Amino acid sequence: MSRTGRTSEEIAARVKALESMMIEQGLVTTEMIDHYAEIYENEVGPQLGARVVAKAWVDPEFKARLLEDAPAACGELGIGGMQGEHMVVLEATPEVHHAIVCTLCSCYPWPVLGPPPNWYKDPQYRSRMIREPRKLLAEEFGYVIDETREIRVWDSSSELRYWVLPERPSGTDGWDEQQLAALVSRDSMIGVGSVQVTP
Amino acid sequence: MRDSNGQPDSVGPGEEVKALVQNLPLLSNDLAFDEPWQLRAFALAIAAHKSGQYPWSDFQSALIASIKGWEGAGEVGDAAWSYHEHWLDAIQAVMVDNDLVDVDLLEERVREVLDMPANRNHHEPHYEPVAVDPGC
Repeated sequence: MSRTGRTSEEIAARVKALESMMIEQGLVTTEMIDHYAEIYENEVGPQLGARVVAKAWVDPEFKARLLEDAPAACGELGIGGMQGEHMVVLEATPEVHHAIVCTLCSCYPWPVLGPPPNWYKDPQYRSRMIREPRKLLAEEFGYVIDETREIRVWDSSSELRYWVLPERPSGTDGWDEQQLAALVSRDSMIGVGSVQVTP
Repeated sequence: MRDSNGQPDSVGPGEEVKALVQNLPLLSNDLAFDEPWQLRAFALAIAAHKSGQYPWSDFQSALIASIKGWEGAGEVGDAAWSYHEHWLDAIQAVMVDNDLVDVDLLEERVREVLDMPANRNHHEPHYEPVAVDPGC
C-alpha cells in the first residue's frame, strides 16, 4: 500500500472507517478502544490546558495575550500542535458563562485538552447544548448556572476551536501556578463544570 | 490538594500495553501522538488483539512488513507521522488477511467518511455563539 500523497484527512477517514466497521461487526467495542486510548491521553491531555489557565490566573499580561492570540500564548509554554492553530479562548466572567460544542462532529482543541471525551461526540450533547444549555448543564453535569448569568455556547469547527478560561475560585489567594493548575479540570475548560477548591 | 502529578491512574492496562509495544520495531519509549487518529489507531490495534481477533505476533509481522516496504521505497518524511500510518496499514492488513474486514467495503466506507465533511460545512470558522441563553 502506498503512503505517498495521503493527507491527514484521508488517513483519519480510514481509521474512522476501519473502526466503525470493526465495531459494527462486533470485533471490538468503543469502550475497549477508549480504554486503551485513555492510557495515553495524559500525554496530550487537559493538564496542559490547566497549566495555561493557571498561568493566566496569576499573570494578567499572559492572560491578555492568551485572550488575544491563544495559539501564540500557548506556544510560549511549549504547548501546541495539530488542531491548535486556530484556537480562541473565552473568558468566563460572573456575568457570562461559556461552553463549547461541536454541533456537527467533534472538533476540539486537542493540544490543550487531549482527545475529546465520549459524551462530547454524543449527538445528545451536541443538540441539547444548543437547545437548552442551562438545563443540560444542570441535569447531565450537575452544574447549575445562576439564572441571572448569561450562557453563550460556541460551535467549534475544524477551522476555529474554542475553549474556556474558567473563573479563578475564591480562597486561592497566594497559591502558586502548580497548585492552581491541579484544580483545573477538563470539564471546566469545556464549560460543563466549575473549578472547585477541594477541602 | 495536588493530584498525582498527572500520572495515568490506569497502571494495570498501561503495563499491559507496554508489554505489547516494547518489542515493536522503531518504537521509542516515548510514544508521540500528534493527531487524534494516531491515538485512535493505536488503541484500535490493541483493543482488537485483546478482543481475540488476532495474535499480537500477526500484528507485529504486518507492522514490520509495512515498514520494510516503505524503507524499500526510499520514502522520506516525518518519521512519527509515518510510523502511525504504518500502524494503521498493519491493522488493515491483519483484518483483511484474516477475512475479518472486506477490503472493498472498507474502501467504500472510507469514501463515505471523506464525503461527509463537504456536506457538514464544518471547515468554516464560526465567530458568533451558536446559542445564547440570556440570564433573567
